[in-house]
Amino acid sequence: MSSTINQDIASSISSARINKEKRFQIYGVAALLFAMIMLVTLFITIFSKGLSAFIQTKVNLDIELTQEVIDPEGSRDLNVLKQANYQKLIDDSLKLYALNLFDKDEKELIKNLRMILSPIAYLELRNLVIDNQDFIGKTKKVSFIASDDIDQYFKGKIDMSIPEDDRKITDIQEKFLDDLQSKGQINKVFNKTLFTKSDSREAELSGVLGAVIGSFYSLLIAGLLSIPIGIGAAIYLQEFAKKNRITDFIEININNLAAVPSIVFGLLGLAIFLNMFLMPRSAPLVGGMVLALMTLPKIIIPARAAILAVPESIKQGALALGASHMQSIMHHVLPLAMPAILTGIIIGLAQALGETAPLLMIGMIAFIPDTPLYITDPATALPVQIFMWADNPERAFVERTSAAIIILLFFLIAMNSIAIYLRQKFERKW
Amino acid sequence: MTDTGIVNISSFNKLKKSKNIKIKAIIKNLSVFYSDKCAVDNVSMNINAREVTAMIGPSGCGKSTFIRCLNRMNDVIENCTVKGSILIDGYDIYHPKIDVVKLRSQIGMVFQKPNPFPKSIYDNVAYGPRLHGIATKKNDLDNIVEESLTKAGLFKEVKDRLNDTAIGLSGGQQQRLCIARTISISPSIILMDEPCSALDPIATAVIEELIENLKKSYTILIVTHNMQQAARVSEKTAFFHLGKLIEFGDTKTIFTNPREKQTLGYITGRYG
Repeated sequence: MSSTINQDIASSISSARINKEKRFQIYGVAALLFAMIMLVTLFITIFSKGLSAFIQTKVNLDIELTQEVIDPEGSRDLNVLKQANYQKLIDDSLKLYALNLFDKDEKELIKNLRMILSPIAYLELRNLVIDNQDFIGKTKKVSFIASDDIDQYFKGKIDMSIPEDDRKITDIQEKFLDDLQSKGQINKVFNKTLFTKSDSREAELSGVLGAVIGSFYSLLIAGLLSIPIGIGAAIYLQEFAKKNRITDFIEININNLAAVPSIVFGLLGLAIFLNMFLMPRSAPLVGGMVLALMTLPKIIIPARAAILAVPESIKQGALALGASHMQSIMHHVLPLAMPAILTGIIIGLAQALGETAPLLMIGMIAFIPDTPLYITDPATALPVQIFMWADNPERAFVERTSAAIIILLFFLIAMNSIAIYLRQKFERKW
Repeated sequence: MTDTGIVNISSFNKLKKSKNIKIKAIIKNLSVFYSDKCAVDNVSMNINAREVTAMIGPSGCGKSTFIRCLNRMNDVIENCTVKGSILIDGYDIYHPKIDVVKLRSQIGMVFQKPNPFPKSIYDNVAYGPRLHGIATKKNDLDNIVEESLTKAGLFKEVKDRLNDTAIGLSGGQQQRLCIARTISISPSIILMDEPCSALDPIATAVIEELIENLKKSYTILIVTHNMQQAARVSEKTAFFHLGKLIEFGDTKTIFTNPREKQTLGYITGRYG
């Protein structure tokens, strides 16, 4: 027998095998590319539609705050100031601007012109006057929120080539607005309303604040309930429970719960929390409790894995020093398992933040223009708000839907980044 | 003191007197079962105070299980049952009234693999004293840490980095840290379960020297696979095989003139 290497190794570089490997690599790259393209498309659509919602069109008008209209007796009484006819002041100003442009009969003209401002323009003016009473009698430049159609017009989203009857902007409005713009009376500012107001029938006055607070309260309740219960259950199952049929049964059930569709949890909440315990409908308290049920298995499973991953030797070291079982867990096992547990918690809560279905079942889908103050106030949540806005036909709600998605994505990405950061910072160190 | 179930002083003293030596522990008919499997089979022996007793024998012969009985570490293993009795200083440590947690604080243990806590060197040593409230003032704690590390022969090497993580130490240093951690709460017995099996010969020599010093104040039981080590450090040697105590006696006798054929076979390397 010769001791040299078999000549096969030089000659038999199997082209079939190499091709197979290459093909497999190509499949992998293709799959990755496809996924990336989908993701990029998603982001491009959302951002191209939604970014413009962060900008708001304002119409600046010089308003003559005449003493006769606001406070004819000069008493500066708050009730008088509140009840004054501010709409007349705005109308007068609009008429002044329109003076040289139109010769139509006045009634239809002023109706047309009023529409360029939001329906609460007179309230904006009223609040300004009440806050600054020395303005009375002077002419001031006042900045009004433009109505949603005007906003869309200035964002170039309204097709002016279609017949006047089919579009939202009349010819009168177009002429008037173009004139205002040429005078520099139109400007675009950051859309504060989106963040400081809650839902509204008027797109230009609607914001996500109520939904964000509703989501925050729900998540707070979900976290307060599911984190201690989840960690406690994980510690008990992993460290104290005897291995028998009952614990096996519990374990199988927890794993199954993680796969139960979320709407089922919503039905459970409806049947038990609302119908049996008569808790308030549409409240973040109940929403949070339902989300907590949904999050529990998602916390317990990774927490158990994290506790299991702590080496037995460290626990034994503590036991041998005279630490009790509980002390060895609290002083050593839990601190070492905490980063992984935290990751599980954050990912579980991030999922809960994006959850819509269970909240629909307990009535958190409702038009709620008020910002919730307490956890029992009716509220909605960010994903539900997106769902509701997507249902609205107005153009302005389309961009607001995308904007709300961007805000939700921002929260989700932030939470997941924290999870990744924690995971990397506290990499296992034994 | 009178005899109760938990304290059995008179029989202890009788034995002490009759043998006229410093007896620390009496093990009587000890058997350990994992489920149905018998790991230690009816072992009886006496452990002398301030001596090193070595346990030798092939893998799986029950010597580790045996020493884990002395601080009841087997309790944490499910399905493990212990029969027979162990008296330490007259106390029946398997009596139901014995507080296992306090027992373990008086019978320290060093494990096969160094298992420092992933904390600072200081915190590793200070954990026991803090836990048992031995030292509450920072000053006292500092003294205990320094003293323990000095006794374990580690203080000089780590005195400038007491706040560094213990994981950064070498294997031999980690093991000495574990020994320092064990003696920080002044136990009366130290159990060592193959403390050098994960160490190189130089680190092993350091640990052996340390054992030599420690036995002046502590009773030490050491499990080892290394027969030279047993011969070097121990006064008494016990040879286990398949859960049975085959031979127990002075180390010199065991290694030069064993009574049993099996012992001779093992120490000359014919099986194991």
